[in-house]
Amino acid sequence: MSTSRLFRFPKPAWMNNANTRTAGVYAAGALFSLGFYLLIDIAVWSKSAMNPSDPAIHITFVDWIPGICSALGMLVINSIDKSRLSADSFSYSGNGVAWKARLVLFLGFALLAGGLAGSVVVLVLKYIVPEYVWPTIWMGVGNVVANSLVMLSSAVLWVAQNMEDEYTYNLAL
Amino acid sequence: MAGIKTIIGLSFVLAIGFLLVILSAALFKNYLTLLVVATYVVAPLPNWICGRAANPDDFMESAGSGIVDFGRFLTGFFVVMGIALPALLWHSAQIVGGAATMSVVGGLLIYATIMSFTMFFQEEQEF
Repeated sequence: MSTSRLFRFPKPAWMNNANTRTAGVYAAGALFSLGFYLLIDIAVWSKSAMNPSDPAIHITFVDWIPGICSALGMLVINSIDKSRLSADSFSYSGNGVAWKARLVLFLGFALLAGGLAGSVVVLVLKYIVPEYVWPTIWMGVGNVVANSLVMLSSAVLWVAQNMEDEYTYNLAL
Repeated sequence: MAGIKTIIGLSFVLAIGFLLVILSAALFKNYLTLLVVATYVVAPLPNWICGRAANPDDFMESAGSGIVDFGRFLTGFFVVMGIALPALLWHSAQIVGGAATMSVVGGLLIYATIMSFTMFFQEEQEF
């Protein structure tokens, strides 16, 4: 393992620790929760007495679409078994499993990136272009932050799951 | 390890936690903060259920750890939910700031009690 590495600095030892990947999974859940409750927060806030916009600006279904896309993308990405990505290099797994896995994974990443981009689109088109001021613009800003948090959570979960693979690999050798 | 002093101390902390949450609801005549108690009672359940559902014996089969990971993910979700829910209610002027702070602190005390109680309890069963 150590002779075939590319960079001069070795990967720190705690990266392959089982505790680190457990903490990573917990952190992913926490980040997803933050993102989810930010979405709920902008929806509740838009109907509450704190919303000062005079021709009342509310959350509509348009504001929910990026969040739904991000959550679906996260679900798709993390339900793929990561070991299937290199399955075609082994002779015993035919039928193009790796090709299918890559296609589904691509769809998942497209949904995730589309969710983040869509939230920026909603922020710009619905809140910045009509020149709303701060307390109203929170409904767009919160949407962008929530989608970034879902994306970050997905990345943390991905890294943590890959950590597990190398850990079990070291154990199996 | 888990002596009688630990149990008494933990029950004190649990009582203080419940006191804070119930006060945060009753003082302000607004019972939305009681949701925090429900959150923290539900929080240890996913780990428990998924720990039973997974088979820890075959670690060569990588599919077995997926359900454990899902339980941990849900636990992280619920723990942050206990903090995010009062903050959300406070931000939308459903509860006042004092009630939000009291319910967050009380909820964290309740969750810490449940966690340390399970920790002491499991240490006895280890063999």
